[in-house]
Formats: sequence, C-alpha cells, structure tokens
Amino acid sequence: MSSNTPSSSAGGVGSADSAAPRRNSKRPKYSKFTQQELPACKPILTPRWVISAFMLVSIVFIPIGVVSLFASRDVVEIIDRYEIECVPQNLRNNKVSFIQSDANKTCTRRLTVPKLMKQPIYVYYQLDNFYQNHRRYVKSRSDSQLKDNSSWNDVSSCKPEDMSNGQPIVPCGLIAWSLFNDTYTFSLNNQQLAVNKRGISWKSDRDSKFGNDVLPRNFQNGTLIGGKSLDPTVPLSKQEDLIVWMRTAALPTFRKLYGKIERDLQPNETIIVTLENNYNTYSFNGKKKLVLSTTSWLGGKNDFLGIAYLTVGGLCFFLALSFTGVYLVKPRRLGDPSYLSWNRNPGGH
Amino acid sequence: MDSKTPLENLYNIEPALSSSSRRNNLSANSKSLGGNSIREVNFSDLGPKPVKYGSRGAESEIYSMSQREINDEDARLIQINDPVKTNERFEFAGNSIRTAKYSILTFVPRNLFEQFHRVAYIYFLVIAVLNQLPQLAVFGRFASILPLAFVLLVTAVKDAYEDYRRHRADKIENNRLASVLVNHEFQQKKWKDIQVGEIIKIHANETIPCDMVLLSTCDPTGVAYVQTINLDGESNLKTRYAKQETLLKIPEKESVSGLIKCEKPNRNIYGFQANMEVDGKRVSLGPSNIILRGCELKNTTWAVGVVVYAGRETKAMLNNSGAPSKRSRLETHMNLEIIFLSVFLTALCTVVSVCAAVWLRRHRDELDYLPFYRRKDFSEEEEENYNYYGWGLEIVFTFLMSVIVFQIMIPISLYISMELVRVGQAYFMIRDTQMYDEPSNSRFQCRALNINEDLGQIKYIFSDKTGTLTENKMEFQCASIGGVDYNGGKVSSQDQKDGYFVQVDGKVLRPKMVVKTDPELLQFARSGKETKEGSHIHDFFLALAACNTIVPLIVDTPDPTLKLIDYQGESPDEQALVYAAAAYGFMLIERTSGHIVIDIQGERQRFNVLGLHEFDSDRKRMSVILGLPNKSVKVFVKGADTTMFSVIDRSLNTSIIRATEAHLHSYSSIGLRTLVIGMRELSTSEFEEWHSAFEVASTALMGRARLLRKVANSIERNICILGASGIEDKLQQGVPEAIESLRTAGIKVWVLTGDKQETAISIGYSSKLLTNKMTQIIVNNNSKESCRKSLEDAIIMSKKLTTMSGTTNDTGRTLGASLTPVALIIDGTSLVYILDCELEEMLFELACNCSVVLCCRVAPLQKAGIVALVKKRTSDMTLAIGDGANDVSMIQMADVGVGISGQEGRQAVMASDFAMGQFRFLVTLLLVHGHWNYQRMGYMILYNFYRNAVFVLVLFWYVLFTCFTLSTAINEWSSVLYSVIYTSVPTIVVGILDKDLNRQTLLKYPRLYGAGHREECYNKRLFWITMIDTVWQSAVVFFIPLLAYWGSTIDASSIGDLWTLAVVILVNLHLAMDVNRWNWLTHATIWGSIIATFICVIIIDAIPSLVGYWAIFEIAQTGLFWLCLLAIIITALIPRFVVKVLYQFYTPCDVQIAREAEKFQARSESGAVEVEMNLILDHPRQ
Repeated sequence: MSSNTPSSSAGGVGSADSAAPRRNSKRPKYSKFTQQELPACKPILTPRWVISAFMLVSIVFIPIGVVSLFASRDVVEIIDRYEIECVPQNLRNNKVSFIQSDANKTCTRRLTVPKLMKQPIYVYYQLDNFYQNHRRYVKSRSDSQLKDNSSWNDVSSCKPEDMSNGQPIVPCGLIAWSLFNDTYTFSLNNQQLAVNKRGISWKSDRDSKFGNDVLPRNFQNGTLIGGKSLDPTVPLSKQEDLIVWMRTAALPTFRKLYGKIERDLQPNETIIVTLENNYNTYSFNGKKKLVLSTTSWLGGKNDFLGIAYLTVGGLCFFLALSFTGVYLVKPRRLGDPSYLSWNRNPGGH
Repeated sequence: MDSKTPLENLYNIEPALSSSSRRNNLSANSKSLGGNSIREVNFSDLGPKPVKYGSRGAESEIYSMSQREINDEDARLIQINDPVKTNERFEFAGNSIRTAKYSILTFVPRNLFEQFHRVAYIYFLVIAVLNQLPQLAVFGRFASILPLAFVLLVTAVKDAYEDYRRHRADKIENNRLASVLVNHEFQQKKWKDIQVGEIIKIHANETIPCDMVLLSTCDPTGVAYVQTINLDGESNLKTRYAKQETLLKIPEKESVSGLIKCEKPNRNIYGFQANMEVDGKRVSLGPSNIILRGCELKNTTWAVGVVVYAGRETKAMLNNSGAPSKRSRLETHMNLEIIFLSVFLTALCTVVSVCAAVWLRRHRDELDYLPFYRRKDFSEEEEENYNYYGWGLEIVFTFLMSVIVFQIMIPISLYISMELVRVGQAYFMIRDTQMYDEPSNSRFQCRALNINEDLGQIKYIFSDKTGTLTENKMEFQCASIGGVDYNGGKVSSQDQKDGYFVQVDGKVLRPKMVVKTDPELLQFARSGKETKEGSHIHDFFLALAACNTIVPLIVDTPDPTLKLIDYQGESPDEQALVYAAAAYGFMLIERTSGHIVIDIQGERQRFNVLGLHEFDSDRKRMSVILGLPNKSVKVFVKGADTTMFSVIDRSLNTSIIRATEAHLHSYSSIGLRTLVIGMRELSTSEFEEWHSAFEVASTALMGRARLLRKVANSIERNICILGASGIEDKLQQGVPEAIESLRTAGIKVWVLTGDKQETAISIGYSSKLLTNKMTQIIVNNNSKESCRKSLEDAIIMSKKLTTMSGTTNDTGRTLGASLTPVALIIDGTSLVYILDCELEEMLFELACNCSVVLCCRVAPLQKAGIVALVKKRTSDMTLAIGDGANDVSMIQMADVGVGISGQEGRQAVMASDFAMGQFRFLVTLLLVHGHWNYQRMGYMILYNFYRNAVFVLVLFWYVLFTCFTLSTAINEWSSVLYSVIYTSVPTIVVGILDKDLNRQTLLKYPRLYGAGHREECYNKRLFWITMIDTVWQSAVVFFIPLLAYWGSTIDASSIGDLWTLAVVILVNLHLAMDVNRWNWLTHATIWGSIIATFICVIIIDAIPSLVGYWAIFEIAQTGLFWLCLLAIIITALIPRFVVKVLYQFYTPCDVQIAREAEKFQARSESGAVEVEMNLILDHPRQ
C-alpha cells in the first residue's frame, strides 16, 4: 500500500510530455471572481443582532405611530350623509324615479362645526359603493381626445358613450358622461361662504393631460343624461370638476375634492348648505356624503396607520423582550460543532 | 460475457507484427487471404481491460450474425473510380457537412418551432393570443406580447450565435482540399465536392476527408498508420491495410475499376464489412481496411483509397451526437409544485368568476343604467347591449381574463432564470482551478446544462476502476529474477533521469518513457551473462523485450540528434514491460513480421521470430519462439501466475520457484499486477515438430483457433522459470482521500470493474475502499440456485453484523461509523444470474446493508444493469463515473454521468454530462459545487414561486374591490416589467453567486453534503411554508394601503404605484434577508433593482398619454405614502424573520452551524482549515 502514497506519485511518467513546453495551457486564470471568492460579508442572525433589530423597529415605529395618531386626531371632519334626507319623505320608496324626474331637488342641510377648523377647509363629496375602478368604466375614455383637439373624433375606446346623434362626443366615454353633478353652496351667518374651485385638480393634469384648446362638444346630448353638462365654451383644461372626476378613484368608497373654503370656521358655527341633489346613486344604493375636512401632514382623518404603527412597534418590543428571555434561559453557543447532527447522536445517521 | 466473446471473435492477422486494432470476422475472409501466411489466433489481450475489448467484441459479434452475405437491399454499391455511375442509381450524400441547424431563410420558423416545444412557452403564447381577442383584452397588445417576445428573442440570439459559429466551422471544414483522381491525375478538390466512388490520395499528416477503403499505400505490404484521436481519442497509432489485390495498382497509370458492396452507413466505428470485386476476384473487407473521416495519416507517405461514405454518412459524423438531455430531480419536483400553483391559479380564477357571476346576477336589473356599467349603448340608432354577451359568456370571459391577469402565477421567467443560473454555475465550475488537470491540460467540462443541481443530491457513485481510480499508466515496479527480489524504489532518480539510451549514426535513441531502475539489478544487467545471475537476468529481459506484440516507432524531437522510441501497443502492461526492458539496456528497436532487432547493452542483435502464440484468455499466457543469433531456438513464455505454474517444470530450481511464489504473493498483496516469465530451449527436433504442427494449424480452415491452442499448449510446457514482474497500476492522485471524503459525505461508492477479483480487491485496499476492519462477503457462483443460496446467507450475515453494531437505520443507510462494516464483492458471472431474475431484489437488499460494493469482471451492459437496479428501487440519485467506451452505457443510465477525459478515448466523455481530468475532482464537484448548486437552485425556485405569487395575490385582492372585473391598479407596464426588470436580476445573481458555506468548510465537513440528501433546500414543507408566507405578505402589501387610503381621494394610478413599489421593495428585501453572502455584485443587483424600479415607475408616469400621468410625483409628496411603504415592508417581513430566527436558534441545521462556525471560529483556527484542505486536494505535483 505504501507504493500508493502520494509521495511516490508520478514517477517517471510522461517525462516527454512535461518537458515539452506547454503552448496553450487551458488552466483557468485565477481571479477571486472565477473562484467565487469575492470579498463578502456573511450576515448571521446572532441574538444580539436579532434583538437590536426588533428594538430598532419598535423605537422607530412607536413614535411614528403616536405622531400619526395625533395628526389624525387633529383633523376636524364634518361628514353629512344626505342622499336619503334630500328626497322628500313621500317619494322615498321610489328614489330612482324621483331623481330621474324634473322635480325640484334643492335641499338644505345644516352642519355644525365641532371644533376650530383652520383654513384651508377642503370640501369633498364622498360616494360609497360607486365602482369607479370597474373595468368597463376605467377603459371608457379617450386620453388622446382629451389632450388634443385634432383627435376629437378618436372615440373608439369610449363605448358605449362614444357617439351621440351620429357625432363624436367630446369628452367621450362613461367616465366623463357620469360626471358628478350635485352642487353645494355654503352660507355662514347668512353670508355666502366662498368655495374656491380653482386648483382642486392636479397641475400636471391641467397642463399636459387636458388640452386648453379642447372644447366640450355634443356632450350630454344623448338619450340618457349621466351627469353634469359642461360649458361648451370653456376648454377642458379649465373644467376642473371634470379633471378631478376623471382621476378615477382606486376604491369603491372615495372622496373627490369639490372645492376649498379659505377661512377658519369657529366651533359651534352652523353652516347652511344648499345643495342640488341631482346625481343618481339610488339605482345602485350608493351613498352620498358631503365632507368638510381640514388636513394634516398625513392627509385626512384616518387612525389606521397610527394604530398599525403602534401595534407593529409594540409587537417588536415584545419580541425583543421575549427573545432576550429566550436567549438568557436557553443559550446556544453559535457555531459549536457539537451541535452538528452527527456529533449529537454519534454513529447515527 | 467478456470471457466468452473473445473466443468467438476471431482475429485476422496478416503480417505478424500487426496485432493491433483489427477486428475482422475471419470466417468470411479466410478464402480471400490468398498467398499470405495466415494464422488464426484468438482475440488477444494481456488483460488490463478485458471488459473493454470484450465490449467491442460483442459489437462485432452482432455484426457477424449478418456476416454471411450482405443483402442487396441493405448494401450500397460503389463503383471504384466511377462516381457518376455510383451515384446514378442511388443518391449518396455528398461530402459537404452541415452541423449548423438553420440557414438564414429557415432560421425564424425553425427556431420558433423548436422553442415552442416547451410547454411553458405555449402557455405564454396561448395567453398572449387570448389577450388579443377584443372581449378579453386586459393588457395592451404590445404589453402582452413583450415578455414572450423578449424571451424568444434572447433564446433566438443565443441560438443564432451558436449556429453562426457552426456555420463558420462547417465552411472551413468543407473548403479544405484533398487530392482527388480526375482523368488519371490527382487534382486538388474541395472536401465538399468529393463524391462517393472517387479515388483520393492522402499524404502524411493529412486529415482524411471521408470514409475510404484503402487501395494502396506507400508501403509495399500495404500498411498505413492512422491516428484516431479525433474519433475515439486513442492516441496510439492504428494500422490499416490495403488488400493485396489492389496494392500494386497505380491509379494514375492504369484505370482501377471494381465494385465494392458494403453495408449501409452506421455509427459503429469499430465495424465495417464489405466485399470488393476487383479483376474478377471477390475480396472481403473488414474494419482494418477502412480509414475514417477525421483520422490523420501518420508515418505513411501516402495512401490511396476509394470513398465509400461521405459527408453526413461518415461514421465520424454519425457519431457526432450530443449528450442525451436529462432533467434534474429538482426540476421534476418543481413541476409538481407548478401543478399545485396552476390549481391555485384556477382556484383564484374560479373565485373571481363565481363572484362576478353573483354580482351580475344580483344587479341584473340595474346593469342597463349603472353609471359604471351601462350595458345599453344608445349611441347607435338602435339600443343594443354594449360588450355584454349574456350571463354565461360573461362568466367564461371573466374566467379567461383572470387567467390572463394572473398568468405569472406560473413562473415562466423561472425557466429562463434557471437556464441562466445554470450557465453561470457551469461557468464557475469550468473556471475552478481546483478542477483543472495539469497533466492532461483539461478543464472541467459541463456538457449537460440542466442537471447542475443534481450534483448536490448524489447518493450512489458507480465508478469504473481502470483509468478512473487508477491512471491506466502501467509502471514497472519490481521484478523477481532467479528467486531474488529486485525492488528498486528507494533510489533517487536524479542521476538516472535520462535513462538508458543508445547511439546510432551519431544520433541518440532513447525510449519515450523513463522507468525507475533498481541500481543493483541495473548493474547485474550491464555485467553481461557470464555469471549465473547475469544470464538469468539477460534471459529475463530478453523475454520482456521480445515476448510481446509491441511496435516500436521512432519519433523525432525538436533536437535533431535525439530521437525517441515510442512503443505502441494495445496492452499497457506490455508497454510497461518493454519500457522496463529498455531501461535495463534491452531496447526493442525494430519489429517486422519475420524478425525483431533488440539493442542489448549497446550491441544490436537481430532475432528471428519463428512463431508467436498470442495471448488468449483461456491459456492466459503468450509465447514467442525466437531464433537466437547463435542459432539456438528458444521459446519465451509470459503469463498469469495461475496458468504459468502449471506449465513450469517444477523439478528444476525448486528453490527459485518457491522464492518466486513468495515474491508474487507479496507483490499482489500490495496491489501490483504480476506476470510470470519463463523460457525453454528447443531442440531441433522439437522445433521441427512444432513448426509443422504450427503450419498445419495456421492454414487449417476449420477450428483453427482450437488447433493453434493445442499447438501452443504442446510447446508451452516444461518451462524453466526466469522470474516474475510486478507492474503497478498506479492509483490516481488523491483517490483514497477522495473516496474517504465521499463516503463520509454519506455517498455510497460502488466500484464496477472488469478486472479479476484479486486485482479488484487489491485496488480496493489501496484506495481505502476496503479496510481491514471490514467483513467481506464474496458472492462468486456459477448457477442461479447457488447464487440464491449465497445471497440468502449473505443477507443473514450482513444483518447480523449490522444489527449487532446497531447503527444501521431502517432505510439501510450505513455510514462509515458503523462498527463492523460489510463489504460485498460480487463477480460478473454471478451477476449474470442475479440481474435477470427475481434475485435482483435480494441483491439490492444485501447491497443496502453493505457499506462497500465491489463488482468485478462485469461487462459494460452489466454495469448499466447494476445502475438500473439501484435507480429502479430507490429514489436516490446515482452518479456513474468512467473513462472508457465500456462505461458509456453506465454513464448514460445513471442520473448523472461523469466522464474522465483521460487517456482512453472520448466516448465516455461524449456520453457524459460532466467531464473532468481526475477522479479526485469528484469531491470538489459534488461536495462543493454540487452543494452550492443545489442550495442555490432550490432557493431560487422557491423564491421565484413566492415572487410571482405575491404579485398575483396583490392583483387578486384588488380584483375583489372592483366588482370582480379584473381591473388592475398597477399599471400594465409595471405588471409586464415586474418579472422582467424589477425582480429578475437579483434572483439570477444570487442563484449564481450566493454561497451558504465556504469551500474549505464543505471539504472539512463532508457530511454537510447530507443537506442535499435530506432535501433541505427544496421540499414540500418549505413550499407550503413559503406559500403561506406569500399570502401573508401579499395581504400586508394590499391591505395596509387599502385601509390607510379608504375613503380618501386616492386615485387608482397612485395607489397602484404604491403597490408596485411596495411589492418590488418587499420582494427584493425578502431576497436580501436570505442572502448568505453579500459581495458587491449582490449589493449592486438588489439595490440596483429597487432603484431601477423607481426609475421605471417614474418614466412610465411621465408619459402623458397614460392614465397614471404624474401619479408617482403626486403621491410621493405625501408622508402617508412613505409611511405606508415602511409599514408594509416591516410588517410583511416580521413573521418570516421570526420563524427564521426561531428555526435557526432552536433546530439549527448542520449548514447553519457550520456557517456560524465559519464566521466565529475562523479567527481562532485560522490556517488549520487550509492545511486540511490541502491534504485532500493539493498534493504537490511534480
């Protein structure tokens, strides 16, 4: 067996071969990359790392949660659901026919300001159960037509609201057709409360998406009126209600900005809202709400995020504590070879 | 099998010097051999590779069945020197070859056709087509085709490049020149214009353009030497012969004509049969008369032949097929999981369509006027339904649309990623300097690209012995001459580095290989034959130099005064002996049919070869009858000890015989191959008697082999013993250590060899496969019944042994730690009975109880049978490693086939999936690369499932809030780019580069390889855990923004951008959390992907014609967006992180502990690991 030890290997073998100059050795060139030995860091989840990670998360999350909760609580919101109240009592069993009739739909609501509302106060309308994200609905629009006067007859994607009386509709499509048409006027102490309806849409939309030379044409002219009519002399880029409406909402419950009230409202002031209840949500049991809300750095009133942050932060704090406990009670030396499976039960499989 | 076929395979030998490489079936040829002295001898082989040759013999045996006469239908008729007439009836292939698959015109359709063979692509295509239907158009036209087009394009570019290279190679090959006989003179013609039937002249060192039958050569006896290295990799020269009938014809002067009738083209490079009618005579042709395309003419000034097969019909081209494609185990498992996923996909789609149906039903009265539905279209003259096809069809459409939207649930990109990852892994395996073989200058080769990860799960290794465990370089080690053991190993070889040489005409002639010599013996050999020892030694070395079939070739060297003698022969043992004789001053210089010239201590002597009895496996010896210069006649015999002692005259030199026997025993116990050499002087009468008997026997028509054997037996008797030689079949470097590592890793190593039992066992000991502690069970039977009995006994015994030690678990897995390991040694004859009946089951049971299995004397098909036996009965992965043609069937049968690209030819490599230079590289290949590949691929598959499912689920949740109408908040371009740009690169880079453990650690603890056996990186449990995690993560991604933005002014595009970014960041951080090793590439790709996603989202939102114009800029200004993002990522990852921490801390797997050890103990033990590794891998080479 001794003759097989490596030391006696390669005795007189191939002396001619090795003597010959090796012209083209195929030996792979050594580099750290090809040998997969690039310098690298090898993170290992040591107890210290794990606990500090959890602690870090809780330290970051709990304050954020507190701050966002405060921010949300700071927002003053007046929500008034009016779609039932604004139907005369006797007609409430057939709201759809009421809304489709020519009857007077003016309605007055009184809103009390609960707390000081600092300007600007945003006026929203909120629709529930209205699927602006429905596939048929979101597809039924023509972006080229909105932007460019020359493609005013590009209505192929606007079905079923593409043509009326044989003429293309501008703006075409279901979205534009169903433009929200309730109107609100606010008065405080018998004084008209000005609602600024400029600048309620995205600037980018006004500048680049809706053409300033595109005039409404043949709009709401068909058999079925879906919503608001547009002034045919005002270009689309100035029709901010349309622009806001055309940013279709992501979720079936959504708010759209109606305007801004640019003055503070004092607590217990009563605002009288005269509204035209024109928009038909009765056919699909949709709710309509008028919302007056201030805003914080976090947006509107929504406690969810604050609670979520507090929960996660708290959970991480708890995890950090319990892992600390676990490591203290039952430590394991990292990298101890005696934990290797074949060392734990010797001779085993 | 191997022991029988040689007897039936008769060899035809024309001049006596030619024993090599000719496999004719004599029965048909004998008539035609006219005036030549014919002797029929049995297939000869001194025995290093009986199996290998046996296998070839088996092939030719098959051909001999149809030998009688080639049927006209099966024949091809070739008019010599008349290509027009030859080709007029049959359209034989021209000589232009075409390995390229495509032409410019056919590329697009054919490539597409080939690519669409994959089911995955068809799925892709069907979905893209569905999306084109107006009712189902979910995505835009272009966006829906983009992913498929991208994948097809990448593959097509890759294919086109490969094909371009083939085209170029073909062009070069087709435009090479050859001399073709046209109108009685040889003209240069391009290879592609050569036709069947033409006569071609080849000059020395030229490559042969097509398969040709030799007509004449520069040599008066019609010999031509060819090198077949391109064909089968064997570098020794082969002799080919022109037939006597055509030898003297000079094509330029007289018109040669004739008809060759040969078999149809086939891929057997060792078989050829045909007959030739020339001048009214019918001559039969065999494989020794044909030279094949791709070979080179050597040592022959010119040769003339007639083309019989050209172009794609040549044997070289017919053999030019790639390795069979295999599918990896992981991929097979993965396909099952993909079925789960498609069930899941169907479930999602069903949920959506059922909900949609319910919704439609409940709102059926309102649909006409619903502002967001508006079924009625009033724009036309008549009111009609717009895009509504009735309740039933709507459901079907919803279902199909949801399939389109959720299509990436089936991770198509995974297939491409896997291919890229495998290419990357192969790149690193090929580049690994530790798998580069210096002596053969060969890198690791990855021939199959789709089973890389199988290397991490190998459970059984089936290894050939010769050339795989051993180097197949025989080396003369020691000799026992006249009862004295000359055992020269202790001498420093510096002073004799140049070895023995002779000077001829001022030129130095030196054997090509230097052999270590024993100084004492060298001195005796030089001292001449005056003393008794001297004469013994003289005769001994004379026997070594003369009693063989070696052909010496003089090779030029760059130094004009130095020439080397290269001994060419089929048997490496004979070569070793002749080199040894040369080293001791008995240099064989020349061999012709009638005489040999031996330079004895500088004195050139000529011996007449009066007769030669070739080796046969029955006698197990060969003899040569020499006429010595002093007119005496001697017979020299050389053979295996068992048969030699029966013919040795025991009355003479009893002490020498006894001493020799003792030496033989000690030689074989250290694993040397032994031969006994003897001699007898013949008296004149004896010689005359033998001569006449020999003449009669060798011209006999019937039973020539038997007669010759009888003659041989009559002369090989009363031999006086000269001595014995010990040849070392050198073990390859590092083999024992490699086997040790592999066995510790829990891999069972089975050795399947054609060698005899004793040799196999001795190699088993020297390679540490067998140890003294082991109990050997030997199964060696000759009938089915006795096999059954010994198997039963063996099973009982092995059970007793292993249960006593109590360390075998129920699956029969015995690791090296077992107290009394059992080794099973079984021979080929027993296997014949076992493998074709129900005893298989018992053998398997027995083999499972044994830690080592050694099969000796097995034929190639049996090797495959044994592999199949294991493959059939277990689900464990098998690997076969071998180097020779006899291993091909085994390599192809095993799950993973590895070829050793050593000396023995290329067939094993051609059939293999991986090829490498040395057996020991297997350790690196399996333990290091196999482990890595498996771990990487397993993780990558799981990650890809997760990655796509999480995205699909986010889409799905949203669908629940859109009246089940398959609208997506996420921009369609982002959906398309998600698996192409946003998340694809990191998984590929991690799949190529991530390493869970260092090379050093993996080699230090071979048992870490068990991770693959236990399927730790990819199994059903992990799959389901991943899927649960996926559902959680997708819910977090979806519902946090949903709740945070509920009842707000958020528009679909903005929240869609939030979802897009959240998913991408989450998915990339998920990967980041699992990366084991962060190098700059990992950093670059993971963070780069996130940045790239932001950039893409910004670009998409900067296109005014899209709905989501400027959304990202609007939403990114709000704090809520960033808080949502942060909350999503942390919340989504917490459960996974917690589970991971708990799992790693409480039930750490071996890999985990080793990883910790690597990091924390590296400082304390620095250096120790490297040293250990060097022991295994880096024996200093000379």
